[in-house]
Amino acid sequence: MDLDRYKKAWNNQPEETDTVSKVDIYKMAHSKSSSIVKWIFIIGILEFAFWLVLNIATSNSSYIEIYEKLNLTTFLNITYYIHYVIIFIFLYIFYKNYSSISITDGTKELLENILKVRKTVKIYVYYNLITFVILSVIVNFIIFSDLGKLKEIFNIENISIDEGNFFIIMLIAQIVFLVIFLILFWLFYQILYGILLKKLNKNYKELVKLDELN
Amino acid sequence: MSYLYTINLTKLVNKELENKFLSDFETNQNIAHKICRIYTTNQDAHNDLFQEITIQLWKNYAKFRGEAKFSTWMYRVALNTAISLYRKSTRRVKTQDIAEYSFKIKAEDYDETEELQLKALYNAIRKLNDIDKALVFLFLEDKPYKEIAITLGISEVNARVKMNRAKDKLKKVLNP
Repeated sequence: MDLDRYKKAWNNQPEETDTVSKVDIYKMAHSKSSSIVKWIFIIGILEFAFWLVLNIATSNSSYIEIYEKLNLTTFLNITYYIHYVIIFIFLYIFYKNYSSISITDGTKELLENILKVRKTVKIYVYYNLITFVILSVIVNFIIFSDLGKLKEIFNIENISIDEGNFFIIMLIAQIVFLVIFLILFWLFYQILYGILLKKLNKNYKELVKLDELN
Repeated sequence: MSYLYTINLTKLVNKELENKFLSDFETNQNIAHKICRIYTTNQDAHNDLFQEITIQLWKNYAKFRGEAKFSTWMYRVALNTAISLYRKSTRRVKTQDIAEYSFKIKAEDYDETEELQLKALYNAIRKLNDIDKALVFLFLEDKPYKEIAITLGISEVNARVKMNRAKDKLKKVLNP
């Protein structure tokens, strides 16, 4: 079968009856975009804000007293400063990648640039999760390495507790918290980016396949 | 004084640019309509995509310096919008919508067999994936391979090979 007949029909197709007037074009051109890129940008900014707020909130919490008693303050402060510098670098890369998105590029390049922005945020989130886990482990290690001091800090009224039990309860509580946090996080990500990126990834894969040498 | 003058001048230049954009787009809007027809399946979605294409064209119009024909540039921006920027509306589509929507183009003075063929063609293209849709669309619009390659950002050789495959897929959908 040949496509010629169909092509002729295509060429002869009449123009759209519902043409859009200049006034409507003007209105549309000045309306708000609801593109995928815009959503990726907004969500990216929200993610930066989320981790920043979380960092600031935890660095000013009531735990500070406990950290002071454990001589952890200097260590944590230095970590936070380094952390903020790294966040700033991430923000810079994020913005740079975002501004390199141009709809006038070829489709493949365009998709690559959009996915790069998303990847920056993804690495940023991984970075935060990893530092979060590493810091928790370090702090926990220091806390639990001196049980006597630990009891002194948490049990100001000197209620006698079984040392073994106390250790296990604290450890389980922390692990449970960490696991719940990670599961919720993962779910949120699957839903959010699943919806947003499904089409982009599919089209990008298709184009890459298309551009492979035969 | 000179500051105010600059503002007025900028406004004037913008106005001129805007007017040029409006008439360029108005005369070429059929390209956008055709793309909306192949990438969407109901009138609401058609209008959504059309609006997003308009936004993107205007947002980037200042960068378009007439180095190419407006229509050539428009094909690229409009297809990119459909492939990469447009979020399909989550509203459920009734099958009835699709049947009705298929043809809003004027059927007067249009050969009946050709009208049926055109309907079948649109329905077949809609079944292809987003990239094959673009390939077939550019073929139907008689775009040279060089332009197709640039539009999609792939090599010309690959554009040729993949075009044949996309056409085969289309034929299969048309004549199963």
